[in-house]
Amino acid sequence: MKELNVKVVGNREIVPGIYEMDIQLPEDIAFRCGQFVNLSVGDGAHLLRRPFAILFYDRKRRVAGVCYQVKGEGTRLLSEKKEGDGLTCALPLGNGFVIREEERRVALIGGGVGVFPLLSVLEEYKDSDKHFRSYMGFRSAAYVDSFGAYDKRSDFVSVSTDDGSFGKKGTAVAAFFDDYEQAKPDVIFACGPTPMLRALKAGLKERGIKVPCFVSLEERMGCGIGACLVCVCRKEGGAENVRVCKDGPVFEIGEVEI
Amino acid sequence: MADLHTKICGVEFKNPVIAASGTFGFGKEFNEIYDISVLGGVSTKGLTLEPRAGNPTPRIAEGRGVILNAVGLQNPGVEKFLREDLDFLKSKGIVVIANVAGKTLENYAGICARLDGLVDMIELNISCPNVKCGGMAFGIRPESVEQVTRAAKNSLKKTPLIVKLSPNVESIATNALAAQRGGADCVSLINTLTGMVVDIERRKPLIVNNTGGVAGAGIKPTAVRMTYEVCCAVNIPVIGMGGITCAEDALEFIMAGAAAVQVGTANFTDTLVMPKIIDGLNRWLDAHGIADIGAVRGTLTLNG
Repeated sequence: MKELNVKVVGNREIVPGIYEMDIQLPEDIAFRCGQFVNLSVGDGAHLLRRPFAILFYDRKRRVAGVCYQVKGEGTRLLSEKKEGDGLTCALPLGNGFVIREEERRVALIGGGVGVFPLLSVLEEYKDSDKHFRSYMGFRSAAYVDSFGAYDKRSDFVSVSTDDGSFGKKGTAVAAFFDDYEQAKPDVIFACGPTPMLRALKAGLKERGIKVPCFVSLEERMGCGIGACLVCVCRKEGGAENVRVCKDGPVFEIGEVEI
Repeated sequence: MADLHTKICGVEFKNPVIAASGTFGFGKEFNEIYDISVLGGVSTKGLTLEPRAGNPTPRIAEGRGVILNAVGLQNPGVEKFLREDLDFLKSKGIVVIANVAGKTLENYAGICARLDGLVDMIELNISCPNVKCGGMAFGIRPESVEQVTRAAKNSLKKTPLIVKLSPNVESIATNALAAQRGGADCVSLINTLTGMVVDIERRKPLIVNNTGGVAGAGIKPTAVRMTYEVCCAVNIPVIGMGGITCAEDALEFIMAGAAAVQVGTANFTDTLVMPKIIDGLNRWLDAHGIADIGAVRGTLTLNG
């Protein structure tokens, strides 16, 4: 966990309203897939940083990539950043995804901008003996991206769109359950909007599937490092809270209320 | 290097820069980024006798130059703090200020008695705007400020008492005097201003709690004005806070009469901001040929 001044080395719109920004770090970091960066917007008026999952970290160039959707003024300002602009950040933050040694078959389920954080899993385990089956869901054909990266490193890739304009009509979660008998995953990783994660949780319960399933959650954050207790979620079946930024953002799906 | 040592109510601070309650937890997370032993002190996350889960999320929103929060006093309770966090803070050689809140006079007295002699100072939170029972009821009227201060003070034998004042009142100086009458050894100000941010698509407040406490750079002029008024009114030490982001900001409060300052929201914008403020105080004093921070304290004079 470091506080660093970083330089923008790339910032482009990959699909409508969704950008990939690459930042160069002044020093090396120890990065694990699924961790995030809390990135300044780069002006004096926005005091809160924006938390974004790190898609990749290229140790040689010390470049990390993030993906973000333009939703408000902060992300709009970020979208206007040019190569060479400076930003500040704290990183790497959170716990990240871990594939245990005995887990060989991994299912990745990504919805919308949630497909991007899971890219870091494929990247980190690219030279391993792990086998991936990936299920990607998007609003429509215009938003489909990163298929190539998933396809290259997965044994099987399914693309779904809400309107059927690309791939299957339906959701990534539905595609995952359709393929479940073939896939028989040892572990499931998912990232996407709350309704998608809820559907996944309900579907696993309904089918009595006990395979470990880890999801990456999103919440409005204050400090981003676990001190301020702003970004909490409720532990399943209790009154206790966990911190999304520090105890997560990756949680076992049964551990938290979604 | 100027001398930044500061003494408040007999407690020695190596410098007058203190982490503000609620933005710094119990120090462990920031200590992963830098060694927090460089700080003057830490005011802990607001503690209550029993653990509290706090408000639903979202708990935070943003305006230009400010943030709003409504965490609602989520905390592990005083016993867990004593078991798991106090030793760590003490090991850092910094002043440990326990920020405490309660629902009733008995609550306040109880938590003060529990912490007496175990921490360096106690900061009475009678101004949390985000919970019905966060003490705000005590923080508005001067009579109740005096009453809750007295209840806390009577249960303390060893530890000096700071009363943290709300700005959401008719006269903060009147309330500071009330705290002084009640036996406060020190006052700190300002807590957050109550505000609201609207999500215009949903036509609802963005924060689930509807209102939140406004903090950050944008509240600094208000905070400096109130600090000055309180410093003029009372004869006990004053700790100033509200929107401090750099050494120059801290100096405004110190010149207005504050013995020390607290830094809150700026920790979110730059996790290293407090060490930078301490360095900046040294640099400013050196550049002005001033050997001791005490020489600038309370030196503000009003125009004509």
